[in-house]
Amino acid sequence: MGARVLLAFTLILFGLSSASAQSNTPILSGGAGFFSATQGDNTFFQPVVAPVLVVPLGEKWLVESRADLRGFISREDGSTGPYQGQFFGTLEYLQLDYNANSHLTITAGRFLTPFGIFNERISAIWINKFQDAPAVAAIGIAGGYSDGFMLRGALISNDRYVVNYTTYFSTLSTVNKFESERTFGARLGVFLPKLGLEVGTSYQRKLQDQRMNSFGTHLSWTPSGLPLEVKGEWAHSLSGQGYWIQGGYRLSQFGGPNSAIEPVFRMQQFFRSRLIAGDSLPSTNVRRPEFGLNYYLPREVRLNASYGRQFISQSTDVNVWEFGITYRFLFPLLPGESK
Amino acid sequence: MRRRIFAAVVLVCTWSTFVLAIAQTNAKRSQNDSKSKPSDRTTGSQTDGGKLFQANCGRCHNPPESISPREARAVVRHMRVRAMLSAEDEKLILKFLAP
Repeated sequence: MGARVLLAFTLILFGLSSASAQSNTPILSGGAGFFSATQGDNTFFQPVVAPVLVVPLGEKWLVESRADLRGFISREDGSTGPYQGQFFGTLEYLQLDYNANSHLTITAGRFLTPFGIFNERISAIWINKFQDAPAVAAIGIAGGYSDGFMLRGALISNDRYVVNYTTYFSTLSTVNKFESERTFGARLGVFLPKLGLEVGTSYQRKLQDQRMNSFGTHLSWTPSGLPLEVKGEWAHSLSGQGYWIQGGYRLSQFGGPNSAIEPVFRMQQFFRSRLIAGDSLPSTNVRRPEFGLNYYLPREVRLNASYGRQFISQSTDVNVWEFGITYRFLFPLLPGESK
Repeated sequence: MRRRIFAAVVLVCTWSTFVLAIAQTNAKRSQNDSKSKPSDRTTGSQTDGGKLFQANCGRCHNPPESISPREARAVVRHMRVRAMLSAEDEKLILKFLAP
């Protein structure tokens, strides 16, 4: 059912995009990567392709979609036995956007749940400075994806500050590849361009199973004239609460021409309050400091390596080693003038 | 259950009305502003587009190494939704990426 809907939608999309090809060229962007991670004695590998399709339709409409095609290769018994692999395909978003005016965009379809900043802004493999998501990023996102509608935009926008908002309603869906939960939520942020500082708050109400509220706050700081980036979130739900904060400083003077080395640091902590099945959060309290090094090479290639120590209450602490390579691609989908 | 769904729908509708009302007020205000005293951001220079790119898109990722004008339009439209840019900012960033 899901595959049929997807196929029909893709065909309609290409028909419409061909019609508007003269002014709006659809693009295929995204990233490809190969990751390895060792947690304690367990090592696993993940080849990933995450294509992003963007199809502008006229001046106001946009169709955009991202998928995550991922293999998971690990030993049969965790640390021993032959390697075996599984394949996962996830449709992360497939949405139709209508830019009503400078302050309002209406979105319908499947979209990344806008809670905090990680899921919507940082989760792409070519953006995330670490290989995996922080534990608390699972709070308030209802599995990561929502099917429904969303309103978003900048309420006020001037040189001194921007007030942005997002509000949405998601319906329950059990359709294969379009699974989502019945929720509604909102996010409000204030961005100060001169300081490069954004702070915001998020709320989500789950309207099925164990109904619960999730709250969160986020921070993003990228000072102008300094290659520094600091981001963080705090989130709370019935399951527990926690935070993550990360920083990176890009050193363009090292690494060779058109390259850069970026030392990164992340600290995260999660405090479990109550065990709730299927909440995608650690079952006990967890603390993990991590250090990493990202090496940006020419032609959109990035190497990354990181080490972290995971402190788990009521269990053995483990080392976490991660290595990976990502490649970011972008090309037009229809033939035309060369670059 | 129904009451809660009803409450949720009412909340979303109220919020939408609030947003639309403010959006309209701001749209009118910005129209008047642009008629009377154009700000630095409406000059359309590449520098403004570069600053806007760095402030909005550069918060999460680096600029692409190379981009053609044909690709830039779709990229900037995508960023308009993601970074909640205004139509004016979209034009300036487009000019910066594909002069």
